[in-house]
Amino acid sequence: MKHCHQIQQQFDERLDGRLDAPAAAAFDAHLAGCASCRAAWAEYAGAWRLLQQLPAYEPSAGFVERTLRQLDAPAAAPQPAWWSAWRWGALTTAAAAVLLAVWAGWMRWAAHQQAMLYAEIRQADFLEDFDVIASLDELQNGEANL
Amino acid sequence: MAAHDTDTELMLRVKRGDRAAFRELVERYQQPVINTIYRAIGDAWEAEDLAQRVFLQVYQAARRYRPTAKFSTWLFTIVHHTILNERRRRARHPAESLEALAEPLGGEEGEGWQLADAGAPDPARAAAAHELQGKIHAAIQELPDAQRTAVVLCRYEGQSYEEIARVLGCSVSAVKSLLHRARQTLKERLRGHY
Repeated sequence: MKHCHQIQQQFDERLDGRLDAPAAAAFDAHLAGCASCRAAWAEYAGAWRLLQQLPAYEPSAGFVERTLRQLDAPAAAPQPAWWSAWRWGALTTAAAAVLLAVWAGWMRWAAHQQAMLYAEIRQADFLEDFDVIASLDELQNGEANL
Repeated sequence: MAAHDTDTELMLRVKRGDRAAFRELVERYQQPVINTIYRAIGDAWEAEDLAQRVFLQVYQAARRYRPTAKFSTWLFTIVHHTILNERRRRARHPAESLEALAEPLGGEEGEGWQLADAGAPDPARAAAAHELQGKIHAAIQELPDAQRTAVVLCRYEGQSYEEIARVLGCSVSAVKSLLHRARQTLKERLRGHY
């Protein structure tokens, strides 16, 4: 004899007609003698059966004809190949623009840093010929000689 | 066209460019496809539009069609993905979803939509029935996508766990779990009405 827990685990199979005849008979027999399971089943099955209250709708007149006419129209649902190509092209261009902007910004910053460095060098009193200075090493050597 | 042509036989004819076979398939499946979409998105008119797209996809994919599964399984897989795409689109454009909710359930009578069981003579009972249908509809739509598809295919299209598993790309035990969780949710949402 099945316990209530086992019976309630069979609620889905019973609802969907997946219990064989002997199992279905045992299920029904248990419910006949168990008020608790009977109440649980009434709730479980009741909600499911309520779904049948939703009416079915008949397609509007001419649906088939309208659908068949679409066969001769340009394909609407799937996006055409050119759309995918355009979209990827746009994304690639945008990515390239971002990279270019970042590179240009970095170059400006580097140029600014270099300009600041040259400005410091110009202010160094020991330098007689600014254009000779090609690296900081020479500057440092100059400071060391002070 | 033989009346007993199976769906697969018809689809193989469509593959060879037979439009009459395609018409037959559309006639056979227009109602289940439209109803499945309608029950998922709640917009009757949009359901027809999306159903057309489903059938167009079927026609456009015909050249690649191979009868490795039931035609209905393949068809409802397309339906399921169409619904997912539409719900994602509506999530990005909620204003359009609100317009759909404002429409009366099933559209206006006389505009092509006919209730399969229309004609409750008592206006009060009709109103109560209409309200209940709205609650049932909302309860189904609020289910997670996979649960909702499992419920609609099981309850309204009579599909087996195995067929639903193929549509959803999951196991049979996963389908059973989806249905169980959906039924628990529906039991709570619709408490007092059954």
